[in-house]
Amino acid sequence: MSSVRWLVALVVLLVLPLLLPSFLVVVLTEIAIVALFATAFNLLMGFGGMVSFGHAAYFALGAYAAALLVKQAAWPMPLALAASPFAAAAGALFFGFFIVRLTHTYFAMLSLAFAQIVFTVIFKWKGLTGGDDGILNLWPPPALKSPLAYCYFTLAVAGAGMLAMRAIVDSPFGYALRAIRENPRRARFIGVNVRRHQLFAFVLSGFFSGLAGGLFAFFNGSVFPDFAYLNKSFEPLVVVLLGGIQSFFGPLAGAVGFKILETFIARQWPVYWPLFLGSAVVLVVVALPQGFVGLLQRRSWRIRAAR
Amino acid sequence: MRPRLRSTLAGIGVVALLGVLPGPDRAAAQPKPIKIGEINSYSGVATVYTFPYKEGLAMATKEINDAGGVLGRPLEFIHRDDKLKPDEAVKAARELTLQDKVDFLAGCISSSVGLALSAYAKDAKVLYFATHCQTSRLTWDDGHRYVAHTTNNVNQYVRVAAKKAATLPIKKWANISPDYEYGHNMWEEFSTYLKKLKPDVEFVQLNWPKLGESDHSSYITALLQSGAEGLFSSVWGAQSIAFVKQARPFGLFEKMRLVAPSVGNPDELDPLGKEAPVGAIATPFAWYDAGLHKRHPKLEAWTKKYTEWATQKGLKDPQPKLGASWGYASAYIIAEAIKRAKSTDTEKVIGVLSEGFEMDFPWGKVVMRGCDQQALPPQWIGVVKLDAQGKPFATEIEETQGKEVARSCEEVKDLRAAAAAKQKK
Amino acid sequence: MLDALTSLFPWITNGPLIAVQVMSGLSVAMFLFLVSVGMSLIFGVTRIVNLAHGSFYMVGAYLMVTLVETLPQHQAMFWVALFVAPLGVGLLGGVIEVTLLRRIYHREPLLQLILTFGLILVIGTLVLIVWGPDNKSVARPDALAGSVRIFGQPFPSYYLLVLGLSPLVAIALWIVFYRTRWGMLIRAATVDREMLGALGVDVATLYTQVFIFGSWLAGLGGALSAPTVAVALGMDGDVLTTAFVVVVIGGLGSFAGSFISALLVGELQSFGILVFPAVSIVLLFAIMAVVLIVRPWGLLGRPEE
Repeated sequence: MSSVRWLVALVVLLVLPLLLPSFLVVVLTEIAIVALFATAFNLLMGFGGMVSFGHAAYFALGAYAAALLVKQAAWPMPLALAASPFAAAAGALFFGFFIVRLTHTYFAMLSLAFAQIVFTVIFKWKGLTGGDDGILNLWPPPALKSPLAYCYFTLAVAGAGMLAMRAIVDSPFGYALRAIRENPRRARFIGVNVRRHQLFAFVLSGFFSGLAGGLFAFFNGSVFPDFAYLNKSFEPLVVVLLGGIQSFFGPLAGAVGFKILETFIARQWPVYWPLFLGSAVVLVVVALPQGFVGLLQRRSWRIRAAR
Repeated sequence: MRPRLRSTLAGIGVVALLGVLPGPDRAAAQPKPIKIGEINSYSGVATVYTFPYKEGLAMATKEINDAGGVLGRPLEFIHRDDKLKPDEAVKAARELTLQDKVDFLAGCISSSVGLALSAYAKDAKVLYFATHCQTSRLTWDDGHRYVAHTTNNVNQYVRVAAKKAATLPIKKWANISPDYEYGHNMWEEFSTYLKKLKPDVEFVQLNWPKLGESDHSSYITALLQSGAEGLFSSVWGAQSIAFVKQARPFGLFEKMRLVAPSVGNPDELDPLGKEAPVGAIATPFAWYDAGLHKRHPKLEAWTKKYTEWATQKGLKDPQPKLGASWGYASAYIIAEAIKRAKSTDTEKVIGVLSEGFEMDFPWGKVVMRGCDQQALPPQWIGVVKLDAQGKPFATEIEETQGKEVARSCEEVKDLRAAAAAKQKK
Repeated sequence: MLDALTSLFPWITNGPLIAVQVMSGLSVAMFLFLVSVGMSLIFGVTRIVNLAHGSFYMVGAYLMVTLVETLPQHQAMFWVALFVAPLGVGLLGGVIEVTLLRRIYHREPLLQLILTFGLILVIGTLVLIVWGPDNKSVARPDALAGSVRIFGQPFPSYYLLVLGLSPLVAIALWIVFYRTRWGMLIRAATVDREMLGALGVDVATLYTQVFIFGSWLAGLGGALSAPTVAVALGMDGDVLTTAFVVVVIGGLGSFAGSFISALLVGELQSFGILVFPAVSIVLLFAIMAVVLIVRPWGLLGRPEE
């Protein structure tokens, strides 16, 4: 994107929260968190070619790390938030070591298995995590408490995270990752250590997912075990599909679109919302040959190498 | 700008303005409604409970509004779906308070949702009426002035079940309860109260299947070997139906007496049909019971009215379920609290709640206790039997007043202090 | 040593209990096999992971309820319902395959996955709209409502039906795949579908037939299990997860793998609950994690291209 576009986007982001009514400010905050999570997920899926069904685990690890540091260790919130992605990354490193040895469906299913294990540990270890009662009263410090303040805070942190991921994607590592996605054997022939790159991508993806989790913990004011459950893992998948796998900002567009749809439709017709969402998903896959933003055919990926 | 485009935009602008500006007379004539943001699970598996609950609430609201409303204003419930997720519930709560500017919050069926909403209410200083969820932590361990509970919590009906269990000549008890907060809460309440009433009871086996388990055969065979004479079960809903169906041919209920609070209700008995656990002790809302009708003369008319209402609203099973009575009671309790406060001001209404009051319902008197803002409705205990057509129903209904078994205000104070101490560390 | 084990697990010397537990595990296993073999079959041929498999199972169970309710109240009608319900699901599968799946065979596997995921949401809500939110159930036929004695322990007669039917289905599948022309075409399609098309076989119709067959199997699983559980919303998710895990453990596309995996999972769950009750929530996934770490393509799966 040209620098003028960047500037315009920045100005819009700075001004928008002031113009919106309080409730939409809250929605905007949530969009930022979902976009961060989905972009982290897409780092692995779109750019690394690895589909994970268990990304909620890292989201939850980040959220619980932040929660426990504040509640048990009495850390100040900003510090706990800063630590949360590292906890998630540690989990990603441990699980990822086993997961990246697999491919395709098996990769996805093992990641799901580990996510379910994380869920179970959180659920059963009542003494530490409170089990299904969750950890409550996790509000940000007074300075960040108001919807507007937390919105700006989230935009800043999520924005920084996305910029960092953008830098990663445009770096030599990012290109090596794309090469691995296209053809792992060829990549190996030219000297790329496939396993190590994939594991590193997994850890980075987990890192930013954990950051999203930490932000969400304080946004929500509480954490619950179902942050690690299956449904949460499917959220970024749907968002990325709607927005587009190939483009870096696809997940962001998807997050905006999905949240707007959810806010206005799910509210009115909660019983029919799954029907609507399912039909929309089916329609997008079947009827839109190019998909939404940036969903392109395999051939054009190589032509777009410079982007 | 091109002329056609300009006039089109002008036209749109005029229409938009017309829509936004209030008509001269309309706004003045209608009194502003009292808005209650109601958050519950209206999609997925919980709908078997929340659909009748919602209709009970709606029927009560219409009655209240037809009679002039509350303080001359109509009562209005704005519903939101929490998808059984606490974070969705908190989001909805935020939306309702910030966007829709509701006067109060209400709702919940899942205990963790209730607890999350309660925490939000405490922080945002909004009064929250918990309605369908059951955990006693809401008003006891984690209770505070910004939360009130308009239906009973697990403590009350479990203790009534334990009281009945204590009258049986059974010493060895086993447990099968779902492995989550509610299940553990249920067993804890039952076992401690039973032990208090009958110190020589022995708990020989505890089973904790996961919530929503579909195959209980391993648990059943374990129970058969346990030597228990009585079985306490707090599995509910589809899991309860599955458990009973699976346990029956193993002869489990011949070996041990089943005490299962939820199994007496029609949503579990009707699907079970002739496979219902005859002889099981339950705590049902037996709206059809002749004895209950005699004791509460207004009950029969109410059940007729509700059945008609639900049929009209398209509910596939229009009989008055327990949830319907809870929804009905919740609307009236909220209305009464506002009426007594003579205002929708949060602090004034909390003042009324903390003093407590009583209300009469078609099924008996409900006490809203002041010290914990907890409702104490009548509790029933009954036995499952099959009628001449082979249809299961609950009978031999005995009624106990909730306040006779609920924990006392002093006990509640202790629970809250203990919970607060745990938080501080 | 035996003393230590006996004090930890008092049932370990209880022969009849163990026998019943093994039989229970076996009936669970047979049932798991029925449910997952359809998914394995569909994947093996079309390379689509049908996430809506659990939804087909659920529809099969609900159809069973409706059929039993509307057909004349006679014992024999149970078997009629059991026969018709899976056909209904097969029909549903056929319609879905022709209208939706056919358009996406050439697309990315991920998109196919997402589409079947969307179907879960659609079918689930439609079930709620058509049948309502209430729990339902089907009574066991009188002939199978009681129990038989195994080593003096009662064992539900209905499970014998499942225990008997599933191996029959397995054998029937084997005969179909290895002794009929259609089966040979299917096996060829799993190896090289393009070549098969080049040889003049109507691969599109073959895919439809396979999908119908797989859906029929899911519906049969649902109809067969209806008398043993509650027919309620949410049963699609549980079954899908279980079936998917069983299929992955066995290795995608391998029927023998599905069979062995079903046996393994069934017995481990049956005894696992007695040995490690605390992990019952996650036992299934723990087994899958262990298997996948040791054998990256499941027990008998083939490495992907």
